[in-house]
Amino acid sequence: MTLLTHELRLLLRSRMALLALLLVALLAIASVAAGMAEVARQRAVIARIQPKQAQDIAAVAQWAGKTQDPGNAAYYSFHAAWDAPAPLAFVALGLRDVAPYILRVRALGLEAQLYDGEAFNPELALPGRFDFAFVLVYLAPLFVIALFHDLVSGERESGRLRMLDALAGSGRRLWARRVLLRGGLLLLALAVPLAIGATLSHVPLLPLLAVLGLVALYLAFWIGVTLLVGRLRWSSVTNAATLAGLWLLLTLLLPTIAHVAINRAIPVGQGVELTLAQREAVNRAWDIPREQTMRAFYAGHPEWKDSPPLGHAFHWKWYFAFHQVGDESVAPKANAYRHGIEARDAAARSVGWLLPSVGVQALLARLADTDMQAQFAYQDRIRAFHARLRNHYYAYLFTDKPFGQADFEGAPRFDDM
Amino acid sequence: MSAITLIVRDELRLMRRNRVAVIAFALLVLLTLAAALISWSHQSGIAETRARFQAQAAEAFEAQPDRHPHRMVHFGNFIFRPLPPLAAFDPGVDAFTGNSIFLEGHRQNSANFGDVRQSSLLVRFGQLTPAFVLQVIAPLLLIFLGYGAVARERERGTLRQMLVQGVSARALVMGKLLALAVVAALVGLPALIAFLLIAGQPGALAGPMAVIALGYGAYLALWSIIVILVSALVRRGRDALLALLALWAVLVILLPRVAPDIAAQAHGLPTRLETDIAIQQDLHRLGDAHNPDDPFFNAFKQKMLRRYGVDKVEDLPVNYNGLLAVEGEKLTSGLFDAYADRSFAIQQAQSRLTDGFGIISPAISLRQLSMAAAGTDLAGHRRFLAQAEAYRYAMVQHLNQLQADAVSYADDKAKDAGADQRKRISADHWQAIPQFRFIAPTAGDLVTASLPGLGLLLAWLALALLALLPVARHLQKARP
Repeated sequence: MTLLTHELRLLLRSRMALLALLLVALLAIASVAAGMAEVARQRAVIARIQPKQAQDIAAVAQWAGKTQDPGNAAYYSFHAAWDAPAPLAFVALGLRDVAPYILRVRALGLEAQLYDGEAFNPELALPGRFDFAFVLVYLAPLFVIALFHDLVSGERESGRLRMLDALAGSGRRLWARRVLLRGGLLLLALAVPLAIGATLSHVPLLPLLAVLGLVALYLAFWIGVTLLVGRLRWSSVTNAATLAGLWLLLTLLLPTIAHVAINRAIPVGQGVELTLAQREAVNRAWDIPREQTMRAFYAGHPEWKDSPPLGHAFHWKWYFAFHQVGDESVAPKANAYRHGIEARDAAARSVGWLLPSVGVQALLARLADTDMQAQFAYQDRIRAFHARLRNHYYAYLFTDKPFGQADFEGAPRFDDM
Repeated sequence: MSAITLIVRDELRLMRRNRVAVIAFALLVLLTLAAALISWSHQSGIAETRARFQAQAAEAFEAQPDRHPHRMVHFGNFIFRPLPPLAAFDPGVDAFTGNSIFLEGHRQNSANFGDVRQSSLLVRFGQLTPAFVLQVIAPLLLIFLGYGAVARERERGTLRQMLVQGVSARALVMGKLLALAVVAALVGLPALIAFLLIAGQPGALAGPMAVIALGYGAYLALWSIIVILVSALVRRGRDALLALLALWAVLVILLPRVAPDIAAQAHGLPTRLETDIAIQQDLHRLGDAHNPDDPFFNAFKQKMLRRYGVDKVEDLPVNYNGLLAVEGEKLTSGLFDAYADRSFAIQQAQSRLTDGFGIISPAISLRQLSMAAAGTDLAGHRRFLAQAEAYRYAMVQHLNQLQADAVSYADDKAKDAGADQRKRISADHWQAIPQFRFIAPTAGDLVTASLPGLGLLLAWLALALLALLPVARHLQKARP
């Protein structure tokens, strides 16, 4: 123990080591605070829209309720869906700054609504967000390099190495002690702010431990690399330059090259194609016999087939039926589009096995529920919600049941999901 | 003068002998060329896809059968943002903004299907483009090649020798700087070649290209000076390397990430949902189309009746429903524009705040300059959105006017079995609607937009050059 405190005193006497450790702690604190502020802002936005949404529905109910026409209610009522950030979201904001976490849908064709974007400033998204994942993946290795690159070579260069080797009880144990001390302090500088942030965000213990384990593993990887380079008995300067080059390769260059390769290897049938096809299918309904649309609709939804036949006049049920038939006609395309993106995502995650930077980023985003999979899960919830919306209105439309002001209250809500 | 030349030659010879340095340099040159090639083929691929979809969408629009004009308002049109020619050098925000918009009546849709939502998480690690290589990686090479330039002489004691032999510290610093500047110029060369290839493309403008060349030149020169300055100030080579790496990490990696976070917290953007609801509320306040006794729409009706000197809408020589559609679209579009302006003003404030960090980070200034001159910044995206909205408005109003002129009011109101056929007008009308053509910004626009970044960069350069003088004087004192 006294040996360890002695080493600690020795380490902290080096101005650079002390500075590096303080800087890591500061960056970790800042990134956790920034992440938590962003998550709090997103939560506030989600809370803020609820009364506005209720107001909007009330305004529609006021006039559409008077008409008693369920078609008006279904056509003019927009319903909010939202994706509240998970407790761990502050660790890795992932896709949440570019993919919408609030979407307004109505009971019309979903494929024309699902891919709508949110208003965001692309210049802010371009460099990526400043979150804990960034500090860990990009910056922490640099500090590992700064603290470890001269662990042995520094002693050699100052002429103490032979003496240290000659000391009794020294040798391996001395280096192990120094590595553990430096690594431990670095881990503490990162883990303490993270754990405090996680406690404040009510993160359950298990995911927090998983993130902490990831942090320790990633640090261990870089410490291992640094020690391996150190075994080559180069000078401290050469060590530092080599390690910085490796860092550049692993965190900046190889991921960007992998990105190009993946997007090349897995072409995604553009979402545009899907939307064009859907629009074509929906609008064609105006030019074909209406019975043809209704037959196609009833074939997929026999529960409404006893609805009275269409007259000459416009009927909303036909309008909603052709929207649904339009959606169904492009379902294979929508599936293919999604599978394409999923395949790209899976490929990137396999790259993570080779590139720890990518692997850690992917795992953090997974644990934080902010990755592509979380996006798709959110889309699935929107699809389920939309299906319930349709059924809710169809129960009135296909039975010609009047839709009064009170019926607006009965619409499904996203938070019941 | 000859002392400087000698130092330059000596320093360059030393770098040539340093095998690691030569390999690193060769790798960077290869990387730039690879980035240029990848970026080039990527961009031409995108351009081709978009052109194909644009043609497909236009064909679909023109192939629509005889219809009621309002059906065409809802069928709408798809338009695609063409890439500016310099996007092959710096694609800017292209991957983050959607590149297609669906244009229809009553609604202003978002631009959808940006790359960022169709790619893996790797897209967030940055994109391999010539701009990325020069902005992020080239300074790192200059650091590796130059950190020891002066520090090495000091560590080995050769500095003192040279000073004793009458070489002035100023000549020494200048010589070292020039040697590094030669390397910087060589680093920039492949990018310049890529650039000249782009110049052969139609639409590439000389002015913005000159600004980009000047900007990147100033940036690399600035890093050369910073490297020499630190190398001259710090006692040991290793400390110089670590200090420069730290500086690079802060200026090039950290600050460009921190600045947007601060900007996003300082200027909050309303969500689309809130904007849509606010527009609905404003519309409701202006005039309620669903209320038969609405004062606004009643006044409009009276105005139309007076204009044509009739008593009933049935007697109007034009279809009153068409007139209503024109008026309604005018109302909604006015609100769309007002809200889009407001949202864009907030985004601009965010971007200005971020650009302001260019005062402490030249990398941010260079990025601003580069994207602005290439036309791939926020303003470039906005240019597309504004033109798309203008096209949408003209198209929808043209169709609404067709409803007023070519469909009779009686037919429009009719609900009998044959009514649907009588409401339709010839498909020739759709074919006569001109296609969307993106009007590219002029060279002057792009150059003006890039001036703030260029100004900051040049100010940095001047400051760094001035700092060389006291540092040389400080070195001179090292003489015993």
